[in-house]
Amino acid sequence: MRSNHIKVFARQVLVTKLKTKSVVYLLLIFNLLIFVSLYTEFRVRTQDHHHVEQYSKEVRQRWENNPDKHPHRMAHYGYLVFRQKYPLGFFDPGIHHFLGNVVFLEAHQQNPINSSEASYSSGLLRFGYFSASMLLQVLVPLLIFFWGFNLVSQDRENGTLKIVFTQGADWRGVLWGKTLGLYLLAMLVFVPALIFSLLLVWFHEASLVNSQLMSRLGLLFVTYGLYFFLMAALAIYVSGRSKSSRGALITLLGIWLFFSLILPKLATTYGQAKYPAPSKIAFDIKVEEELLKLGDSHNPDDPHYQHLKDSVLAVHKVNSTDQLPFNYQGFVMKEGEKLSSKAYNKRYEKLLQIYQKQNNMLRLAGIINPMVAIKQVSMALAGSGYATYDDFRAQAEKYRYSLAQKMNDLQIKLISNVRGKRIQGKPDILDKSHWAQFPDFNYRFLSFSQILAQEYLSLLVLLGWMLGLGLLVHYSKSLKVI
Amino acid sequence: MNQLLIISFFKTKASWIGLASIFFAGMLSLYFGGLFIEETQENERRAILLQKENIERNVQHHPKDIGLLLYYQKFGLVNQVSPLASLAIGQRDISPSIQRVNIRNLEEQKYNSRLANPVYQLIGNFDFSFVLVYFIPLVIIALCFNMISEEKEGGTWALALSQTNNTKGMIRAKLLLRYSSILVVLVLLLIIAKFYLSIPLNQKYAAFCLVSVAYVSFWFAVVWWVISFHLSSSKNALVLLTIWVFLNVIVPAAISGIVSLVYPIPETFGTVVKSREGYHNKWDKEKAPTIQKFIKHYPQLAQYKHPKGARFSWFWYFAMQQMGDDEASAQSRELQQKVKKRIRLSENTAMFFPSAHTQLVLNSLANAGLQNQLNFMQALEKFHERKRLYFYPKIFSQTASTTEKWDKHTLAKYEEQSEVNWLQLLWPLLLGIGICLGAARLNQRKFYHL
Repeated sequence: MRSNHIKVFARQVLVTKLKTKSVVYLLLIFNLLIFVSLYTEFRVRTQDHHHVEQYSKEVRQRWENNPDKHPHRMAHYGYLVFRQKYPLGFFDPGIHHFLGNVVFLEAHQQNPINSSEASYSSGLLRFGYFSASMLLQVLVPLLIFFWGFNLVSQDRENGTLKIVFTQGADWRGVLWGKTLGLYLLAMLVFVPALIFSLLLVWFHEASLVNSQLMSRLGLLFVTYGLYFFLMAALAIYVSGRSKSSRGALITLLGIWLFFSLILPKLATTYGQAKYPAPSKIAFDIKVEEELLKLGDSHNPDDPHYQHLKDSVLAVHKVNSTDQLPFNYQGFVMKEGEKLSSKAYNKRYEKLLQIYQKQNNMLRLAGIINPMVAIKQVSMALAGSGYATYDDFRAQAEKYRYSLAQKMNDLQIKLISNVRGKRIQGKPDILDKSHWAQFPDFNYRFLSFSQILAQEYLSLLVLLGWMLGLGLLVHYSKSLKVI
Repeated sequence: MNQLLIISFFKTKASWIGLASIFFAGMLSLYFGGLFIEETQENERRAILLQKENIERNVQHHPKDIGLLLYYQKFGLVNQVSPLASLAIGQRDISPSIQRVNIRNLEEQKYNSRLANPVYQLIGNFDFSFVLVYFIPLVIIALCFNMISEEKEGGTWALALSQTNNTKGMIRAKLLLRYSSILVVLVLLLIIAKFYLSIPLNQKYAAFCLVSVAYVSFWFAVVWWVISFHLSSSKNALVLLTIWVFLNVIVPAAISGIVSLVYPIPETFGTVVKSREGYHNKWDKEKAPTIQKFIKHYPQLAQYKHPKGARFSWFWYFAMQQMGDDEASAQSRELQQKVKKRIRLSENTAMFFPSAHTQLVLNSLANAGLQNQLNFMQALEKFHERKRLYFYPKIFSQTASTTEKWDKHTLAKYEEQSEVNWLQLLWPLLLGIGICLGAARLNQRKFYHL
């Protein structure tokens, strides 16, 4: 009986809304906006992807084509790594614009990842970026609130609700039915967006489509689906509770503003004050202090390296480093790289912990704010979230370290201790074939399960909200009919 | 009659909540703006100290070899933060306010980014410009959307009409009351800001205040126009909010999207590749051509020579470094051209949309816009060039490090000097106000047929 009511109310909402011209116009406008944003962002991403591929290839070729030379020259020649974006970035560009895109990897030091889009953008970027995710996360809920604020309250105001109840309907039927109708209306925006995204994925990047990507996309769609249902239920519930349509509208708009605009800003501003992150200069000073403590591998009188030298000479039972069976300079640099990387990573780890705490502050806000929760989930799944970026940085640093140490190893093994003496080929320089043997930077994206492990909390929050609202609607007998 | 309107306005809880929320949000933003300035200044102090200590240590380590010293030594240039940046942080939290560079090739150093949490950058700052551009219009909408409709729906409209002959005058008085009370809060905030953040009273601050007032006025003009249609409260709210969403969300986001679509910047990749090759491949090449190119760039340095047959000299080394910059210079110039184009496209488009225009204008008054970043980068180039040319002769003639007066190499400052272009600041807002008031006039008759 009730399921019948639900169907009737849902159909009634859908049919009456679709008869209204403004609703149809809005549907068209939103579909158009989403199409345009998906397509343009896809174009931008594809372009970017080509640039990354093209320049990465060039860097690799140049690396391999380096002539015979001393391996430490190669360690300074270093490598350029360009940040690849996950193919779903076109759906949600997340923090892409604020992330550096290229990093120069070389021995002895960790360079920043530079040239973010934001550093070449005007202040307008801070208003947000035109993307499907922005439209879906922020504006579609507003649309749902516009359409739904008076769905129950108006019926009460004009007395229809009274009649409906005398005909055997109850609150659960009314609320669920109207929620469903409103939800289906929202689906007229979301489903086309979904189909269009799928088409873009399928037709243009066939090589990138794999089960990982499809799982991410699948969960992305499910999450958004849940999110819209949440928003529809919220709109209907508020409409049912409010004394008047106007009151319902004001409440819903208040909720929207608070969720989308005010709470995230307050959370981050508070997070910044509570967990202040060091500026670049403060961080550099700390790193330098750590490095000074370690000693200076370039300084022959440095106590740490003096000690190292003595012990190496003792083990090999020789008097001078020239008599060692390996290249001592390379050995020292290897030790130096190890120590300085460790010191840097220790400092960076601390910085990351601060960022983590700051980001958790935002996640915490997500518990009372489904708009933040969906943002987190969406970014993570689209590969444009914080975890993905940090993973990229870590992989690049790992590659830098292995490059520097590989070159040190080559020097230790193949370069003579005595300048001008040769071990193989020409003195002091190595054959270029060694360069090609060092593998290219092979960036791997986080797996689906790693992403889930990062953002399960936000997913739970959305489910929790759904459950909470469900219970509210289910036990909503006390609402007023008249 | 007007007295009654005033009493009724201030007796309503919503009015107070609205005004108080602007005030508190504004105060909060001033506080955070103050923190931002403080941090920037703290960094500057750190940088001054760091540079001093660094030089001392390096001179101690390399008392003779000034070339080696300058291989390491970094010199800082500060992009002087304007006190107004506490009100409009703009792009200041994205690009660094201090760049520290050594005299080796600049291309590898000048794009160095700021260390920041990108998630927080995405969410953005809670600064005064945010409160003004985003938040205040919402309060204006909330206070005004049902100015007339509320009375109609509440049944007091006829009563109100019976008190006056001049309906339009009464509505205007109601609106002016709201307008002036919000202006009072705004001016109060700007006065508090002046003292709390020690902002000097100059042309720029005057322009900042005037733009703020004009922006608020624009929103009242919008409200005046919308209520002149005499829709229901809900419809008013919907229409006004749609306008807000359009101007404050869709338009700026669309402009950003269009800019990055029309002017992509692959040059950022090109410059790093070019500068890296330009320098590094010279190690494998004959020394003479590198040196020739260097002397061609700096004829005044022709007197210096690379010692014949030597494996290494600083002269040759810095000539190689120079090639990194020289070979990337075409790409680098291209990149700056692109940035200029981006600025122009954003600004020109924003002129037709008051919110976007206001944000950009406030940023630029606070020296916190993209133009400022570009100017700073160019100042950094000049700074680097001066340091280079100052030290090159010393390095090439092998002066001992200890003979240099290092005390004078303190942290340098760049301060943007720009004039206020009043017309360009204000006309888009005045035009917006004019259009709304004009459009409202077309609905004027409705005021008399209620």
